[in-house]
Amino acid sequence: YKAGLSHYMKLFSFYSKMPVEKKALEMVEKCLDKYFQHLCNDLEAFSAHAGRKTVKLEDLELLLRRQGLVTDHVSLHVLVERHLPLEYRQLLIPCAFSGNSVSPAQ
Amino acid sequence: MEEVGAEEQQRFCQRQRLKAAVHYTVGCLCQEVASDKQVQFSKQTIAAISEVTFRQCENFAKDLEMFARHAKRSTITTEDVKLLARRSNSLLKYITEKNEEIAQLNLERKAKKKRKPEDGNKDSLEPDVDVGEQ
Repeated sequence: YKAGLSHYMKLFSFYSKMPVEKKALEMVEKCLDKYFQHLCNDLEAFSAHAGRKTVKLEDLELLLRRQGLVTDHVSLHVLVERHLPLEYRQLLIPCAFSGNSVSPAQ
Repeated sequence: MEEVGAEEQQRFCQRQRLKAAVHYTVGCLCQEVASDKQVQFSKQTIAAISEVTFRQCENFAKDLEMFARHAKRSTITTEDVKLLARRSNSLLKYITEKNEEIAQLNLERKAKKKRKPEDGNKDSLEPDVDVGEQ
């Protein structure tokens, strides 16, 4: 869990593009903790709302829409394309492979 | 071309009427608050609040539609409204209380209707209609 957080710290310093104090980083860590708590609560509420016990991609898309990240002009696929590395993109966006099959299966 | 123009005009008129209605209600509410708190609202403030309310309604409508579609329904229910108010705990509490009140009222009305022998099968339609009016 700590190792995962250090990954987010690297991400944060990459996006901030300037040196960050250590105290600020600790604050970011706390914020991330809270953020994930909220995220999980929201996802739980959304999946319960749809009468499911499993969180699905639809729930995440709804959450991103509520957060104003996914809009009518920017779809989830655009965000995936923009921010995720190739191997994850291939998992999330349907792309044709040889053998006339589409991955991921939908 | 003219037909399109006329249609647009009509839509604009409808929008203006809706805005006027919102503005009137906001004015009444502001007056209540003003007499309660002993402060005055300028006309511009009231206009700004009504404009914000109008825009907020657009957001609410879109979100509610989204939530209903998410649950594979085409009718927006109180569950969707509760989901909309989830951001703030106090608001959620308030809305849940109101929801229970409305449900209670509906039950009472239903009980009254059941005493009368006619239109017994209309009861199932009752809750949704009443919630919409509140």
